Amino acid sequence: MSLSSATGPGGRIYDLGYQRYGGPRLGRRAAATALFTQSLRTAFGIGRGGRAKIAPFALAGLAILPAILAVGIAALATQAGAGNVLDEASPVRYETYHGLTVTLLILFCAAQAPELFGRDQRYGVLSLYFSRAITRSDYAVARVAGLMAALLVVDLTPQVILFVGRVLVAADPITGLQNEIPNVPLFTAQALLTALLLGGLSSLIAAWTPRRAYATAGIIAAAIIPPVVVAIVDSMEVGDLASYLVLLSPGDVLDGANSWIFGALSQNPVIVRSDVPGPAYVAAALVGAAVMLALTVRRYQRVGA
Amino acid sequence: MALIALHGLTKRYPGGVMALDGLTLELEPGIIGLVGANGAGKSTLLKILLGLLEPTSGSAEVLGIDVRGRGTTVRPHLGYMPESDCLPLDTSATDFVSHMARMSGLPGSAARERTAEVLRHVGLYEERYRAIGGYSTGMKQRVKLAQALVHDPRLLLLDEPTNGLDPAGRDEMLGLVRRTGTEFGIAVIVASHLLGEIERVCDFLVAIDAGHLLRAAPLGSFTERTGYLAVEVEEGAAALVDALAAKGLQPAVDGRTVVVPIEDDRPYDLVRDALADLGLPLVRLEQRRRGLEDLFADRPSDGTDGADGADRAGPASVGAAGSDVR
Repeated sequence: MSLSSATGPGGRIYDLGYQRYGGPRLGRRAAATALFTQSLRTAFGIGRGGRAKIAPFALAGLAILPAILAVGIAALATQAGAGNVLDEASPVRYETYHGLTVTLLILFCAAQAPELFGRDQRYGVLSLYFSRAITRSDYAVARVAGLMAALLVVDLTPQVILFVGRVLVAADPITGLQNEIPNVPLFTAQALLTALLLGGLSSLIAAWTPRRAYATAGIIAAAIIPPVVVAIVDSMEVGDLASYLVLLSPGDVLDGANSWIFGALSQNPVIVRSDVPGPAYVAAALVGAAVMLALTVRRYQRVGA
Repeated sequence: MALIALHGLTKRYPGGVMALDGLTLELEPGIIGLVGANGAGKSTLLKILLGLLEPTSGSAEVLGIDVRGRGTTVRPHLGYMPESDCLPLDTSATDFVSHMARMSGLPGSAARERTAEVLRHVGLYEERYRAIGGYSTGMKQRVKLAQALVHDPRLLLLDEPTNGLDPAGRDEMLGLVRRTGTEFGIAVIVASHLLGEIERVCDFLVAIDAGHLLRAAPLGSFTERTGYLAVEVEEGAAALVDALAAKGLQPAVDGRTVVVPIEDDRPYDLVRDALADLGLPLVRLEQRRRGLEDLFADRPSDGTDGADGADRAGPASVGAAGSDVR
């Protein structure tokens, strides 16, 4: 047992036994913050084994790839004197980036939300969390916020790369900065809405579905099925009210918000035909995220521990 | 200030199961055994003290604080070792225990230092860097104890800490519990249905049955009564009973075992002589302490508590009340 002391060739080892702790106890807020940080790291597989990092980093890499390519090609084209031509023709722009990455973000949620919400339930760790400095609600909010923050990182990084690249590639960096700055609040707002809504949705599903495979399937289904239903209803042309059904489909809501925020024409025919006003999409994304956060918190009030 | 004060504490689960029924009790710091059969309400009581469950009515104060309203104030000073599996198998003991320390409000550096210290205290060394999934049951129980101790609680709540351990593992775990309670001044509540274990580590005993308080008293007052002598014979139990009854004892028969109440030294000689006279094949002769399990059932101390009979076999496992024979 640990009370023994042993003599070895290097000298004596003394076991001092148990020591009291007289240091600071930071309490609930610090504990919740630590849980948020740990959640953010876990979403990327940091602090876990090497295999846990494959999916999040591969998906994040794929999401960033178009931005790097676009900036690289733009730099080459500018040197070749074809910068303006290419800039107008490039499919990789602030306003199109949401469409390029949204599928990857959904896959990121499907892969990582079960890590954050399912593991603790499967292993029965919740009773250890809930008997400490944090409350059940603190736990739920910290986990959801961690996933949302991870999504924001994945979503915002390529836009920032695009922004920095375009400023540097511009003939005159000062003019370039002046031209690009107005886009920053736009793509930040869009990335925030995306992170909040997709994070809220996948948190809720993963919190209710401890089994990993089911949670993954559920998140993908929740992202894919509503747009299909909306498209079918839309094609039946049943009336004005039905066109508001689009607000119940997370993917379409984000498309609509993106189109309104950037003032760009959407590629999504449902959004194009719909007469839902642009701000309604933004409001729907925010309300949807809030409702799903509330339901996730509620889930953790009741889950057995 | 009382360590724990319960007033009419009642917990009724949805579906009508009454887990605790008007429990009123005050406990002072020490090593407290909470005994009762499975389903007596032990785990429910611990979970209410931790704020994991809301009582249906009544109140529970821990360290002078009502757990219902101010759980986040009191919980950082409690350590909890649940009965059930509660460890993430894909994480190393170091990572997990240090994360749990932070969840109790310790700063990051203190969490790491305390983790190293407490894992050594429970006897986990190099293996602490490996995933918990590869640990033996005994090592997992140590990790569970370590996470309950890492933030240096003032009160440790242990729910069946020896569950699933072999006899050597039980001894080590009970030794750890005893040392934690005596050397470091941490109050401990040990819930268990194994009375023989409880009486080895505790100073004070609380016995509950079906959510009611049976008795709360220092350990000594539970066990000072005299015990039984259990005589297991291969055959001829009935003849032995007759012979002993003829000598003025009150033997009871339970299968191949004859149980004789011991009031003084006389029965030892009488049993020996009766066995010799009848020439019976003796299998086992053991003293059984009476008392603890008589609290729960009006039956002779037969040594196999049903619930723990399955994992106890052979002479080293004389049963809940018989551990003093070893």
